[in-house]
Amino acid sequence: MRQLRFAPLALIAVAAWLLPYGLDSYAIHVVNVILIFAVLAIGLGLCMGVGGQVNLAQVAFFGIGAYATAILTTRSGYGFWISAVLALAATVAIGLVIGTPALRVQSHYLGIVTLGLALAFTNWVTNAEITGGAEGISAIPVPTLPGVDLSSEYLYYYLELIVFTVVLVFGLFVVRTGLGRRMRAMRDDALAAGALGAEVPVLRMTAFLLASIYGGVGGVLYAGLIRYVAPESFSIANMFLLLGMVIIGGRQSLIGCVVGAIGLSLVREAFVDHPTVAQIGYGAVVVLVVVFAPTGLAGLPGRIRSWWSRRRGQPGTAARLQPFQPYPALAERADAEEVLRVTALSKQFRGLKALDDLSLTVTEGEIRGIVGPNGSGKTTLFNVISGLYRPTRGRVEFRGRDVTNQAPYRLARAGMSRTFQNLRLFGDLTVEENLLVALDRSATVDSWRYVLRPISVLRRNRDLHRQAREVLDRYGLTEFAGLPPKSLPYGIQRRVEIARAVAAGPSLLLLDEPAAGLNGEEVRQLSEIVRSVRDSGITVIIIEHNMGLVMSLCERITVLAGGRVIAEGGPAEVATHPAVIEAYLGDSMDDIPPVAEEASR
Amino acid sequence: MQVFLQTIVGGVSLGAVYALVALGFSLVYRTMGLVNFAHGNVVTVGAYLASTFYLSSKLPFALAMVIAIGVTGAIGLVIERVLRPLENRDFDLMLIGTIGFGIVLDALIIMIWGATGRAVPSPVPSAPIDVFGLRIRTYDLVVLAIAAVATVLLVLFLSRTKRGAAMQAVAMDHEAATAVGIHVGRSNAIAFMIGAGLAALAGGLVGPLLYVSPALGGALGIKGFAAAILGGFGSIPGAIVGGIAIGILDSFAAGHFQGYSELVTFLVFTVIIMIRPTGVFGERTVNRA
Amino acid sequence: MTAVLVENADLTVEGLTVHYGGVCAVQNLSFSIPGGDAVGVIGANGAGKTSTLKAVMGLIPRKVSALRFGDIDLTGVAARDMVRHGIGYVPEGRHVFAGLPVEKNLLLGAYARKWNAETRATLAEVYELFPVLGEMRGRLAGALSGGQQQMLAIGRALMSRPRLLLLDEPSMGLSPKLVEDILAVLQRLRAEGLSLLLVEQNAKLTFEATGSCLVVENGEVAMRGTSAELRHNPEVRRIYLGL
Repeated sequence: MRQLRFAPLALIAVAAWLLPYGLDSYAIHVVNVILIFAVLAIGLGLCMGVGGQVNLAQVAFFGIGAYATAILTTRSGYGFWISAVLALAATVAIGLVIGTPALRVQSHYLGIVTLGLALAFTNWVTNAEITGGAEGISAIPVPTLPGVDLSSEYLYYYLELIVFTVVLVFGLFVVRTGLGRRMRAMRDDALAAGALGAEVPVLRMTAFLLASIYGGVGGVLYAGLIRYVAPESFSIANMFLLLGMVIIGGRQSLIGCVVGAIGLSLVREAFVDHPTVAQIGYGAVVVLVVVFAPTGLAGLPGRIRSWWSRRRGQPGTAARLQPFQPYPALAERADAEEVLRVTALSKQFRGLKALDDLSLTVTEGEIRGIVGPNGSGKTTLFNVISGLYRPTRGRVEFRGRDVTNQAPYRLARAGMSRTFQNLRLFGDLTVEENLLVALDRSATVDSWRYVLRPISVLRRNRDLHRQAREVLDRYGLTEFAGLPPKSLPYGIQRRVEIARAVAAGPSLLLLDEPAAGLNGEEVRQLSEIVRSVRDSGITVIIIEHNMGLVMSLCERITVLAGGRVIAEGGPAEVATHPAVIEAYLGDSMDDIPPVAEEASR
Repeated sequence: MQVFLQTIVGGVSLGAVYALVALGFSLVYRTMGLVNFAHGNVVTVGAYLASTFYLSSKLPFALAMVIAIGVTGAIGLVIERVLRPLENRDFDLMLIGTIGFGIVLDALIIMIWGATGRAVPSPVPSAPIDVFGLRIRTYDLVVLAIAAVATVLLVLFLSRTKRGAAMQAVAMDHEAATAVGIHVGRSNAIAFMIGAGLAALAGGLVGPLLYVSPALGGALGIKGFAAAILGGFGSIPGAIVGGIAIGILDSFAAGHFQGYSELVTFLVFTVIIMIRPTGVFGERTVNRA
Repeated sequence: MTAVLVENADLTVEGLTVHYGGVCAVQNLSFSIPGGDAVGVIGANGAGKTSTLKAVMGLIPRKVSALRFGDIDLTGVAARDMVRHGIGYVPEGRHVFAGLPVEKNLLLGAYARKWNAETRATLAEVYELFPVLGEMRGRLAGALSGGQQQMLAIGRALMSRPRLLLLDEPSMGLSPKLVEDILAVLQRLRAEGLSLLLVEQNAKLTFEATGSCLVVENGEVAMRGTSAELRHNPEVRRIYLGL
């Protein structure tokens, strides 16, 4: 079975190796250019498809790599390879600068800013003396390699092939391990990724870092191949061509990007005498792809498969939810400390006072219930505590430290974990990958390991998978491991979200309406899970409308109304508190016979 | 001082054109939440159509403009109709979809009008008039007047007509708009049509100011977009202030940095966006969990 | 509102089912609202109340075996045309057009009708019903307080001169005093012959504003009866206070 899996790969490798023997000198030139575009497309795919960062400056990265090589070899007299290394460094440096707007703006804005910076680059190279103006720079020396004459495009092909293979494998390595997973999580839902400890700003920069490395590599290869650089090679038209390759091929799959690059390049070559026709063609295909097949060519097999199975009326999955296996309980500690202290918190949204001078303390090992009518400020409170909102006034202390205004990912790494009212699972990741994102606590800045210690990255990845399997087993989710969460019934999605929040290893767990939409049996299981989580040493705060659940689960309940605490105490105490009855049932339900006796029967 | 004022005057008329482009962006964004990356190409189409009718068909300039606006409006309708399935769903995909349309339009322009540009003579006497020692081209005044009229008409349309109010309502809450009986798709189509019409107006007006070439719209589109963002995206006064500001910035950059003016304009723009992503008149949006 | 229609039609809903992704939010729900009556739907969050209302309006994909208003078959009617058949909708969380002035919001409520003297008259009636809106007519809707926005949302729906009003949690986030005000308005509208479908968490408001109620749990009807009966039912109390 294993040999069979590698057979096609070996076949492709042999074909790639033998390819030059069947090509004339023009064809090999075309192939060489295609490989460069493939490298660029992989970089764009990593940034846009995997990282979700709109990058319309990839062609500028390409240009910087090529121009820097040209300038360093012809003007400064460095050798080709030294120049190549320096050029790569320059590309990365400028790539990070171009990426910084991503820290502040996203989506359309980021698109226009990167496009503007790409135009600024073209503007600079067309005007500057050092870049040779509109004429460009010619007579770049042939890269030297002992024993190999790289002025032959046939031999240059092998150099490119090796570089291409290396960067493709590296890209796939990134995508399939922790860093790529975290980037994909950020792409699907930056908010939830942050709440699980993904350092969103660092990840965004990493996306641009990767894009610029690939752009720089492409540029260096280009300078060595063509040995002449001029502004029009790095025009916006080429940027859009590159974008077309990535979109048509399938931006979320690196292989798709490569297929798109090869396919579109070949089409462009076929229409080389009618470039405008080709342009209309691929522009139209881009439009059709985004409307009808947003996952591109790479997504087609999956779509066809699901369409086929739907047509044949097969049930989606026969997987079953297994029972939850409780955590081993920790011995109760006598000296319970304060986990969370919220002091005089206010949050104002324009005219609306969502939180009004609210104070609250929660001690270790508690299951605290927070209830209140809709619009009473419960979710706003969670959002302020977990760092999504900045409070207008007041402070939040977590385990004795002031954490007011801290970024969500810092709080998550300090041991705070949460779920969301309307489920924020990473839709394009599998259930297991959702858990892996939470389990992976390594810092993104340690990603240099990918280059210098890849084996340790792989080992860590295996380790995480083992842990994920344990979590899947514990929550009875093993049979759903490989499925996308959206395909699962709601109750199971809820369970996945809780499993994910606990997998992050928090000391404080915030659950925002975990029972919403669950049926009676599911609510019972939920209460079992929450209790076991608490017994394993995690403090829990739970917002819930299902009063039955709150009353049976929580030792202490805080009741909010109008952004204030109107009552706090044990379940029985709170349920009979006049202010609570007023908030929930209206102010004069006295004519209803009290049911406390019935309940205590 | 004289030079300073002259530079400002030089920037204002181009700034008015940027403002028109920005208005088109803003209107579509305000009503659909979509940034139309093909907007710049629509500007080019408008410029070519207007100049073709004006130069080749010898139509009066004003009539040529009206026809150009009509044709581009139809192009706007087509773009909206094709991308409608993505509305209120995936903004990044819609963005790429409009880029796709931009690619197609770009190719069509080259196919129809060729890759070389053309100069459009000014439709009014070209001798500049002298105001307190400042030289002002008469055509600049025409541009300013038309831009002002277009803006006023747009504001009146949005604030005084039922359709205008409905279009804004769709942008604020498409579900509530549906509930009061507004056809959201049709409203978006009209927004797109007006946006494209504004692009054609800008393109037609800019013809005599700049050289009409396939690359015209790219630069105008991005600067118009920058203007829209600078003023606060979706805000009409913002679009105008932003447009004039970019025009003046452009004019100063051209005076001080010659060939590098574009570089400087985009760098300044990037820095401003970093400092204040919501622009001058923009509102902070709340990130809801 | 003095001049609401004299005769009114019955709303009939049979076999209403809503799926969200893999979730069944509403399951085979049936109910009817006799002309001029008020019916409440109460239940916990996530029980399917809002989905029910949106599904009736056609704002979300749904399956329904019969949906009639009087002798009009509404099953194939687009959401934007419901208002043209006399059905007004007050969305959850108010959803006013925040960037438009109060009066424009109200006028947009009459979007489906011609703007004429009759519209001015209806506008005057709405201002009479909610004097505060008249005082704030030039203010941007987003600058109003929560209670005022709720009144605006109701006023906007009334501008279409509906025969049936669908209200989604009008008490959300309001103080008890404001809830009383809303109740008074609903009672007045009902007295004038308007049919109401009220989805609420606030049981007291619902019981006082309606004649009969459905209690929904997990997308299904758990109980139904007259509001007076349900009001004294301990089971309702259990659902609400968890005792």
